[in-house]
Amino acid sequence: MMTSRIGLAIAVFLLLTAIQVQSNYHFLLNSPNNKDSIADFLVINKTLNNNNLGNTKLDQELINEIAKQPFTESVGVLNPSRFKASIQSISNQFPFYTDISFESVPSSFIDVKNISFTWDPNAEFVPVIVPNMFLDIYNFQFSISQNLPQLTPSIVKMIVFKLTVYGKNGPISFNAKIVGLSDRISSMLVPAEFIQWGNNYAEIKSDNEVSRLVLKTNDPSNTAIASFLKKNNLSTNSEKLRYSKYRKVIDTVVAIAGLTGGLMLIFALIIFTLFIQLTIANCKQEINLLITLGAAPKQLSKFLLGQFYPGNLISIVLATVMIGLLQLVLKSILETQFIFIPTFISWITISTSVVLSVLLWIVTQKAIQKQINAQA
Amino acid sequence: MHFNLNKVIPAILADRSSVGISGIWGENIEWRKGDFIKITAPSGTGKTTLVHLLYGLRKDYAGNILYDGKDIQLLTPNELALNRQLHWSIVFQDLRLFPNLTARENIELKRVLQSPIVAAEQINQMADQLGVLAILDQQAKHCSYGEQQRVCIIRALMQPFNFLIMDEPFSHLDIANKKIAASLIEVECKKRNAGLIITDLDKDEHFDYQVSLNL
Repeated sequence: MMTSRIGLAIAVFLLLTAIQVQSNYHFLLNSPNNKDSIADFLVINKTLNNNNLGNTKLDQELINEIAKQPFTESVGVLNPSRFKASIQSISNQFPFYTDISFESVPSSFIDVKNISFTWDPNAEFVPVIVPNMFLDIYNFQFSISQNLPQLTPSIVKMIVFKLTVYGKNGPISFNAKIVGLSDRISSMLVPAEFIQWGNNYAEIKSDNEVSRLVLKTNDPSNTAIASFLKKNNLSTNSEKLRYSKYRKVIDTVVAIAGLTGGLMLIFALIIFTLFIQLTIANCKQEINLLITLGAAPKQLSKFLLGQFYPGNLISIVLATVMIGLLQLVLKSILETQFIFIPTFISWITISTSVVLSVLLWIVTQKAIQKQINAQA
Repeated sequence: MHFNLNKVIPAILADRSSVGISGIWGENIEWRKGDFIKITAPSGTGKTTLVHLLYGLRKDYAGNILYDGKDIQLLTPNELALNRQLHWSIVFQDLRLFPNLTARENIELKRVLQSPIVAAEQINQMADQLGVLAILDQQAKHCSYGEQQRVCIIRALMQPFNFLIMDEPFSHLDIANKKIAASLIEVECKKRNAGLIITDLDKDEHFDYQVSLNL
C-alpha cells in the first residue's frame, strides 16, 4: 500500500510539474519583466541563393499572409534608400569617409526611446540610429587596428558629421548626428521622410519594392515561426529564433514528464482498485458479519473510504507541496539570473491537484461500492 | 410493530413430514411488539431457519413474512440494515463474534453501529451481572463458549429494538446463569416495551410467555 502511495505521489508530482513548467514558461514569455527586446522583433528577408539573386522582392500577398499569422502582432516594412550617399567627418582629429545607405522603418518598431526621429529639409541635422553592433566593431576592432580612440555611446552621440546625397542637381550635404544605438534592427536607420526626400531628389523611380520586413511577435519561441519562415523560403537572424529550439526541447521534456505522470497515475489508480478489491476480499467474513449485525452498506463504504482515501489524499497534497517548494527554490535560483517567475504555483496546477483528488475519491468510492455490493 | 408470517414454508423443509404438524410452517401467524413468544422444537425442525428468515438472512421460502406490513424480502440493503439497527436485535445460535476483537470491542461495535442508547459504563454493569467482567478485554476467540454466549446477549442489548430474536441463547449456560441472563433480558425488553422470540429445544419458565408454539 505504501509503495503504491509513493507511486501515486510521484505520478502526481510529474503531472503537476509538467503543468507548472508550462505555466512558468508562459509567464516568462508574457511578463513585462522578462520581455526580451531582441527576441520580440524579427527582421525577415528572402533566403538568398543562386536562384533568386536580384529577385528578393517580398510580394504583397506574402506580406498579408505573414500579417495574418497567429504569431504576428504587427508587420513593418523596411524602406531602403535608393540614392547614393556618403558620410564624412567634419573634424580633422577624427577623419573618416565612407559611402553609405540607409533604411527607414515605422516609428513604432524603433527601440530608441525619448528622441524625435523625424526630418524635414529645414531641420538642423539628420538623425541616424546605428546598430549597437557597429559601435562594438569600431571599439573592439577598427579603433585598435587604426590606432584611433575608443568611443562611448554618449561621445558618439555628440559627433556631428557630413551626410551627402548625390542626385540630379549634384550633391547636397547635411549635418547628421547619431541619436541612438539599437539592438533591434541591424541597419542604419534614418527618418522615413529623409528616405522619401532622397529618393525623389535622386529621381530614382521608386516602385515601392519591399525586400525586408520587421515582424513584431508576442512569442519568438513559437515553433510555428521557424517552420513558416522555412516553408516560405524566408530567413531571419537565427539567433533570434533560438528560443524556438529551446521551446521544442522544453515542450518535448514537458510532454514526456506529463505522459509518464499520466501513465503512472493510471497504474496507481488500477493498483488502488485492485488493492481495495483484495482488502475487501480478505475481510469478506468480517464484512459479512458487520452486514449481518446491521451495518448499512453506506456505513461500510464510509468506513472503508475513511481507511483508504486519506492516505491517498496525503500523497496528492504532498506532491503539490513539493511542487510549491520546488517553485520557491527555482524562483530564488532564477532571480540571481534576472529571470522572474511567480513565487507560488499557478492556479491551474492547484486546480489540477483538486481535480485529481476528486478523481481519486470517485475511483476509491466506486471500487468500494462495487465490492460492498458484491458482498451484501 | 408486528411480524406477519403468511403460510411460510422454507424450501429446505418443504419435503419433510414435520412441516405438516408444525404450529408455524404453512400457518398465518401474527406476533406483536411486547409479546414474549417461545418456540419449542427438537433438532432439525428449522428453529435456526426460522430465526434467519425473521432476521432477513434467508430468502429461500414460500409464502411471505411481513414486518409492519412490508415484505422483508423486498427491503433494500439499507432498509434491512436500519431494521437490524433499530427494530430487530439477535442472539445467534452460532454466536457470530469477531474472534480477533476483544469481548468489549465486540459489544462496543454494536453499541455504536447506530446512535448509542446505552451508556458505555453499562457494558461493565451488564458484564458484571452476567459474570463476564473479567474476560471483557480478552479476545473473543479465547473465551469459553458459555462466556461468548453471554457476551452475545450483552451485545444484543446494546441497541434499540422492538423484537429480540434469540436462537437457543442459554444452551451453554448453567441454571444460575440462565436465570440471571433471563432476568437481564426481561428488564431490557420491558424498558423498550419490546417483544421476545426465543427458540429452544425444551419448554422453560425463564419468561412469562404470552405465546408458546411448537415448530
